[in-house]
Amino acid sequence: MTVPIVPKKIKLAAGNDTLSIEWSDGHISAYPYRHLRDKCPCATCSESSSSRHVEPGPFPILGEKPLRPERAELVGRYALQIYWSDGHSSGIYSFPYLRELCPCAECAWRHSGEEASPRVC
Amino acid sequence: MENKLSPEIVLNALKAVKDPDLHRDIVSLGFIKDLVVTDSRVAFTIQLTTPACPVRDQLAAQARQAVQALGIRDVDVRLTSAVMGGRPGKIELIPNVKNTVAVASGKGGVGKSTVAANLAVALKRAGASVGLMDTDVYGPSAPILMGGSSAPAVVEGKSGPPGEYGIKLISMAYFLPKDEAVIWRGPMLHKTIQQFLGDVRWGELDYLIMDLPPGTGDIQLSLSQTIPLTGAVIVSTPQDLALTVAAKAIAMFQKLNVPILGIVENMSYYVCPKCGHREDIFGHGGAREAANKLGFPFLGEIPLDINVRVQSDSGKPVALDEATPYGKTFQEIAGALAAQISIANFQKEQEISIE
Repeated sequence: MTVPIVPKKIKLAAGNDTLSIEWSDGHISAYPYRHLRDKCPCATCSESSSSRHVEPGPFPILGEKPLRPERAELVGRYALQIYWSDGHSSGIYSFPYLRELCPCAECAWRHSGEEASPRVC
Repeated sequence: MENKLSPEIVLNALKAVKDPDLHRDIVSLGFIKDLVVTDSRVAFTIQLTTPACPVRDQLAAQARQAVQALGIRDVDVRLTSAVMGGRPGKIELIPNVKNTVAVASGKGGVGKSTVAANLAVALKRAGASVGLMDTDVYGPSAPILMGGSSAPAVVEGKSGPPGEYGIKLISMAYFLPKDEAVIWRGPMLHKTIQQFLGDVRWGELDYLIMDLPPGTGDIQLSLSQTIPLTGAVIVSTPQDLALTVAAKAIAMFQKLNVPILGIVENMSYYVCPKCGHREDIFGHGGAREAANKLGFPFLGEIPLDINVRVQSDSGKPVALDEATPYGKTFQEIAGALAAQISIANFQKEQEISIE
């Protein structure tokens, strides 16, 4: 049995609009908020992003609250639930899914060609 | 006696005694308490991680021998236990429950509830404080198995679970007339699980055993999401059909990062009480093979026996009597489970910090 890789330290505001995760294997992931929000795994978001996803334009509407995680909670032993400033919170980001989403070059290369792991909702 | 005996010399001698599960000596594990050393007498307490420790007598005998080898004849060894929890932080809903164990199978009808009830009884009999939560909302059975009929008393807005055989118990069966059915969708189940955890006065428990319904759906997911479970026990009969479905339960727990504490084979074989002929009705050894293949501990096998069924139906779990073969079997399985929980807890999990 292999020991699962889990987060050790999660920083919601790690600077430059990113959330960072330090993993139990030492790897550090830095996720731009927009990237993480777009990859929300909840049923509503994954449905809409596959059928009619609208990219946010370069000029956000005046007065719109900037996107950021307001808080986050652990779900059981396997996932993180993020409460976004846009009011959305139903996405449960499992640790393996978060690891898959790591945007660093090394991980992106490793995950290219791999199938996404099946979701747990 | 020419050499002056000191606590250091005694502790050094005791370092030769190793816990077979934790692979460390009992001194560095911090098991030795209240050490008293005089010139002619040594007394100490071994504090185990569970009262159900399967090797307790063996450890006590080894410790006694190690000290006697120093030339001391009067050695007083006492055994005690303090069950550990695995997490650094407390779980909000059940702050004083040290360990939560889900008993699951995937497939229905393999004897999950019987095993769960008997494990709870066996752990209690060993001296632990134990709760039993019947999470099968559609088909609750714990009050029948445990012989409890009274609804839980409500104290300060929280249910105080009745204590059958000293075990705190909650079940949907307490809230429904016998012939009524629960006809609910998922969100109601989720709410029930949260209430069973947070609105019941569990108090201080070493082990909260949770009997799960079959399947890999709402209840299993709600439970795994609401609290960080210590681990899961998988119950299966030896037949391929059951093992195939059990594999799905295992896959679910692995996805949810819930450790598998071990696999139990129920209805393992049948021995005819008249002629002594043994029949492997559902095959035999399949669960052990699966455990070995997957690298999980095999906790034990329970034969198909009419006594288990009769006593279950009459609310007197067989584990109440260790003198019977099946009582002894459950005691051994509970010991093996408690040992696995201790092992899991010793691999101290780091708290995940969010800031």
